[in-house]
Amino acid sequence: MINKKNRKYLLKGIIDMLPFNLAVLPWGILCGSLAIQRGMSELEAILMPLLVFAGAVQLVSIELIAGNASIASILITTFIISSRHFLYGLSLRNKVQNLNSKQRYLIGFLLTDELFALSSSKKAFQHHQRFIYGLAAGGSFYFFWLVWNVLGVYAGSVLPNLTNLGLDFAIAVTFIALVIPSIKSMATLTAVVVSALLSVLMTLYELPFVLVGASLCAMLAGFIVCRKSNRIVEGRGK
Amino acid sequence: MMTITIILLMACITFSSRYLMLHPKLPIVIKGKMVTFLSFSAPAVLTAIWAPIIFLEKESSLTSLSNPYFIAGILAIGVAYRTKSVYATLLISGVTFYLLTQFITP
Repeated sequence: MINKKNRKYLLKGIIDMLPFNLAVLPWGILCGSLAIQRGMSELEAILMPLLVFAGAVQLVSIELIAGNASIASILITTFIISSRHFLYGLSLRNKVQNLNSKQRYLIGFLLTDELFALSSSKKAFQHHQRFIYGLAAGGSFYFFWLVWNVLGVYAGSVLPNLTNLGLDFAIAVTFIALVIPSIKSMATLTAVVVSALLSVLMTLYELPFVLVGASLCAMLAGFIVCRKSNRIVEGRGK
Repeated sequence: MMTITIILLMACITFSSRYLMLHPKLPIVIKGKMVTFLSFSAPAVLTAIWAPIIFLEKESSLTSLSNPYFIAGILAIGVAYRTKSVYATLLISGVTFYLLTQFITP
């Protein structure tokens, strides 16, 4: 069933995702062990990565559940942290229309920051091999996230805290390595600079919706510059 | 049982936030200006994730110049610009980051 060409894309997806798969190890272990420390059963602690599959949501909600927060506040927090995904879905909407519904559900379930980062190619998900690539990348990330969480659940008490090892640097650098080469116009550069400034300032002043807020403003800035420079080019044409 | 219910509800939220906009029956057509606007989503969102890691220290203050995250992060931007390679960027800035945390900062 898996021919040679498909296998190539399968492998490439897994390899491209590898830096992320390894870099999230400390947070996976942290999520698993924190859930147990805060009184969750092993089943509950494993259902988190298995079904919720979102690092920030898991960490925050474990604390909220342990603190007997209301269901409403837990769900609202989950929604706020997850709201950036709407943007990912919108961006990929046209690209996934060739997929059948099963394939689309799969990609939807696996659509993390990391998979979105690897989906910016114009051809992403456009034909079967590209779907295999996305599935392999997203699926391997799901697999590793689950393994790290389970490791945290069963061995969290004997493992050291690895979150101060600086592996968040690996995530930041991989994003840098994907974003910087994609800057090919003044408009994209503007979007990147605005996003960097706003996200830093909003985090500094502890404002909510940092990701979505900074991103939407940056996208708008990029859009405006793009329209203006197009108009200049058109003007020269006359 | 209560916790499992909460986990299931949270799973519904994370899944629908990821899937909803992909659903073909949703009456949204993305064309023209919207395509241009959304073409900036990847650089915008990813930068909003990496910039605070590089330019802030513990999310509470701007970075100092001796912060390994900052130094190696700036280097990564340079290497990514020159090489356009994810692995070269990871390797060079990763090794720099490691050396900085080991030998320079306490």
